[in-house]
Amino acid sequence: MSARNAILARLKSPPPLAAEAAALLDTPERPAVDATNLESEFLARLALPSVNASHDVIASLTDLPAAIARYLHAENEPLTLCCPPDPRLAPCDWSAFTLHANAAPDETATLAIARLGIAETGSLIFETSPTAPMLPNFLTLHHIVLLPVAAIAAHLEDAPLPGPQPRAHYWITGVSGTTDIEGTYVRGAHGPRYLHVILLRGGILPVT
Amino acid sequence: MSDFTTPSFLNRADAALADPILKIAVERTAGTAEAKRAIAIDAFPDFEAARTRAAAIKDHVIAHLGPYLEQFEASAIAAGAQVHWAQTADEACQIVMNICKAAGAKSVARSKSMLGEEIGLPHALEEAGIGRVETDLAEHIIQLADERPSHIIWPAMHKTREQVSALFKAKHRTPHEEETIAAMAQSARRELRAKMLGADVGISGANFLIADTGAVCTVTNEGNAELSLVPPRVHIVTAGIEKIVPSMPHAIPMLRMLARSATGAALTQYTTFYTGPRRSGDRDGPEEMHIVLVDNGRTKMREEGLADMLRCIRCGACMNHCVVFRQIGGHAYGGTYPGPMGAVLTPALDGLASNRDLAHACTLNGKCQEVCPVKIPLPTLLKGWREKSWREGLEPTSMRAGLGLWAWVATRPALYRLGTGLAIRAIRLLGRKGWIASLPLAGGWTRYRDLPKPAAQSFMTQYQREQRK
Ligand code: SF4
Repeated sequence: MSARNAILARLKSPPPLAAEAAALLDTPERPAVDATNLESEFLARLALPSVNASHDVIASLTDLPAAIARYLHAENEPLTLCCPPDPRLAPCDWSAFTLHANAAPDETATLAIARLGIAETGSLIFETSPTAPMLPNFLTLHHIVLLPVAAIAAHLEDAPLPGPQPRAHYWITGVSGTTDIEGTYVRGAHGPRYLHVILLRGGILPVT
Repeated sequence: MSDFTTPSFLNRADAALADPILKIAVERTAGTAEAKRAIAIDAFPDFEAARTRAAAIKDHVIAHLGPYLEQFEASAIAAGAQVHWAQTADEACQIVMNICKAAGAKSVARSKSMLGEEIGLPHALEEAGIGRVETDLAEHIIQLADERPSHIIWPAMHKTREQVSALFKAKHRTPHEEETIAAMAQSARRELRAKMLGADVGISGANFLIADTGAVCTVTNEGNAELSLVPPRVHIVTAGIEKIVPSMPHAIPMLRMLARSATGAALTQYTTFYTGPRRSGDRDGPEEMHIVLVDNGRTKMREEGLADMLRCIRCGACMNHCVVFRQIGGHAYGGTYPGPMGAVLTPALDGLASNRDLAHACTLNGKCQEVCPVKIPLPTLLKGWREKSWREGLEPTSMRAGLGLWAWVATRPALYRLGTGLAIRAIRLLGRKGWIASLPLAGGWTRYRDLPKPAAQSFMTQYQREQRK
């Protein structure tokens, strides 16, 4: 008998009832979030020491390059940016920047667009696609994330995508950190040391 | 040496107790973890109800494990992954080695996985001559030191900063200069990044397997899982069959419990759901994804009264709160898993005969069960091992005589109360400033640590006095 059949033979049981599985999710215990004030709830979580992210607010997508330049100047970094090949960024004028699509092993700054922000935890939700690579978001020192205010949701339960899944669906809640040496927190373990969220208030991103 | 337990465990515990540096190292991390968890749980609206829910989700899965595994397999295959099944640790390693060979792998990047340790994957890779890069900072430390993990969340908990500093200076190409923990972490970052990016295969465990989508979920604080699993051409997952949850929404309450119980955070920094290999047009991600579903004793645990233990989400809270673990650290337990959950798991994984003494490394104070996010009755399961060991005649003679007397007395309530009253008076005589300096039959323990002196009266005596008032 194959290992598969041997294991399954020992685990014989009636199929689970969908209703029983669904009932396990009724009224979950979770931190309260003021649904009428998602932006400030999200920003409050973003500022927690455990998340450790900074933020800026822009009125329109065309303000994005200037906001990134402001951030990189303040951090004493050059205007070099790993930028995803996302057509929604077409309105931006990047003439002040040196742009590239593939991240270097020691990339300084990478831009990404989050699909959602989660107020409960200050998390940013991403999926991979031909216009959204994953690796640059982990190789970079400064992770700069564009998030439309309208895309802030209350709870983690709002994150899952229905239907067929992308190759990777990932939640980022703060910067790369470790407590592996004596339990002492250090930021920038393997991935980004800095996370900077740029909230886009005016309008929703153009549809691809 | 007393024979209250077999020499192997006692020797290790004795050595651990005599090591003052170990005690400092364990206390620094476990103490911080305990404090952070307490703050996180206080801030959570109804942690008790959340524990009940988390336990119910896992119980539901364990009750229907077969059908859920088949559903997971079908979904993962539909997403383009290849699914393999292994009944034993050796089978699992063999499957991984075959995939590595077929991929022509010279180097493998590993993202920390206790299942990998359990099945002996580091050793198997070594035997096959495949270079292994441990990418979790703590796993990197113990790889350099050629040691085993001593904790399931902080594998290098037993090392002080001074020891880590010396290790990195000896082994890193461009080690830190400043004697700070931040500088040491930077040294590891420099050392590991190129190796991660150059690996042929990335190997991870899974925190959750999502039955309805076929996704594999990993959580890390460092982002090392993503850096180890996205660049290589092949991603291999080795996961215990109990890691299933019905859907991503079911993983969410579990993730809330895991992060709070492990590190006191609301959520781990990086939570990723991987579904199959790279899609057409994707700019990164592996071309092949393999998932090895590992039994290694789990079906047997389910059949033989240890189904509760299959709820474990490997958060480490039970060991952080265990008075014995805090004194002796993880290595003394001898198995892959230390602390209370290890004392329950190791006899199931490695056999009771050589591990019967682990069940005695417990004061039955119940703290582990109290903090467990999935309500595993660890003290009851440990008592189960004690009884089984007794039934199977594995206990040494002095233990059998002592326990035999206890059992005889304990089944006679009046005698039992009298007996414990007598014992309390006897133990009080040994007491010094409220602490017991030495106890017959527990020499290994009290040689280096004092035991708290018992209350002046037994609980039952005090209780009855209160009732009469
Ligand atoms: S037994 Fe409970 S407390 Fe211990 S590691 Fe498992 S889930 Fe966590």
